[in-house]
Amino acid sequence: MKVRDFLRRDLTAVEADSSVLHAIKLLENSGLSALPVVDEEGRVVGIVSERDIIRALVPEYMDMLHSASFLPSLDRLTKRLKEIAAHPVARYMTKEVVVARLEDNDLHVADLMLRKGLKQLPVVDEQGRLVGVVRRIDLLSRL
Amino acid sequence: MILTVTPNPALDKLYWLRSLPEDLGLTEEGSSIRAEKSLTSAGGKGINVSVFLAAHGIETVAMGFLGGHTGQIILRDLLSRGVSTNFVWIEEENRVNVVLIVQGKGYHPIHIHEAGPRVDADALQIFWRKYQRMLSRASYVVLGGALPPGLSPDFYRELARAARERGVPVILHAGGEPMLRAVAEGPFLVKPDVREVACFGDMPMHTEEEVLSAGRKALSLGAHACLVSHHLTGDFLFSPDGIWKFEAKVSPAAFRNVIGADDALVGGILVGLSQGKDLVEAVKYGMAAAEAAAEVDEKLCLEREKIAEKMELIEVQYKGKP
Repeated sequence: MKVRDFLRRDLTAVEADSSVLHAIKLLENSGLSALPVVDEEGRVVGIVSERDIIRALVPEYMDMLHSASFLPSLDRLTKRLKEIAAHPVARYMTKEVVVARLEDNDLHVADLMLRKGLKQLPVVDEQGRLVGVVRRIDLLSRL
Repeated sequence: MILTVTPNPALDKLYWLRSLPEDLGLTEEGSSIRAEKSLTSAGGKGINVSVFLAAHGIETVAMGFLGGHTGQIILRDLLSRGVSTNFVWIEEENRVNVVLIVQGKGYHPIHIHEAGPRVDADALQIFWRKYQRMLSRASYVVLGGALPPGLSPDFYRELARAARERGVPVILHAGGEPMLRAVAEGPFLVKPDVREVACFGDMPMHTEEEVLSAGRKALSLGAHACLVSHHLTGDFLFSPDGIWKFEAKVSPAAFRNVIGADDALVGGILVGLSQGKDLVEAVKYGMAAAEAAAEVDEKLCLEREKIAEKMELIEVQYKGKP
């Protein structure tokens, strides 16, 4: 099956200068785990995920400790979130985006997601413009 | 791609009733009505047009403002029907529109409309960026339905102007002051909403003569073409090339639900235009789609065979220059 047959035709996205707070609200409303970042032509220039935002909140040493149990309290994250809420998402987005295309087949997309550990992929047209997303559940629900 | 803008989307809730209680609103205890059947679907003029287009395999993107649990249901319904979505999320909940259809009176539904959620300045700013971005991909733009609280009556005018500047033809599928103001931006086609008030500005549109005057007025104000529904089975098209009267040879007694007929009409016109038909032929297909929609319980008839059957029942008469 081709991506065009099962993608979620949702063009929900943010711009590079959208705020982190806006991205959080949009993640909550859209049911997506990551938001494509698009330019003025709608081309995908990055992706900002829940994980990217969480990483921006926790101290850098957390990466080495691999556990949140070392955090003194969530108050520290709340304080940090207030600090970065108005920052543009461009500061925290992943710039090297793995994308799917409408003519890709389901096996290729599943392989990409498994190998890269991704929950969803933006789908782009020939010009690199966003036309939707594929989530893991979009694949699972068709097995 | 055909872009539709529905600033005030709704969750349409349709109930079919055997009858309305004769003492409705008169008893002290209140009244209870049991529905024979109900249907729930995403609604709003632009949204219905998008649903129609997607069913015809035409790429379409629906835009507007969504909020709350109702917004989630609207989004899910559209995605399941193959419509691409690009909405702005707002804090307040989208409206629910209730329609009561009494058995044997499908042509005369009872509406309960909510005003809809307030759209704030931040949401509007986000919308504009999205809209400008989508215009670059659009072959037509449909501006459809009532405006929610918080939006200026110049909203459609500004959207129509932006589309004109990009060379994208606009179909204005709305009513009242926002529609009148947008006509000045030279939309490709104006389809005035006459469901609540049969007027074009201060011009009534009850008789055939009044409809002809209003259509000519729309052209003089800047519209390239204007389509006015005169009654359930008759439309007039006005363009610089002439005036055409369309009449569907069907009986309104067969109508089961006319809620989506106007939107099927606009959707059908766009299908026709996308297939390379001229405007008169496209309107003929639109009328066939509208008549087919009126004869099914759902808001839209999405079966192309049934629409094709109705084509034979549409008569077109040239009425001369405008």
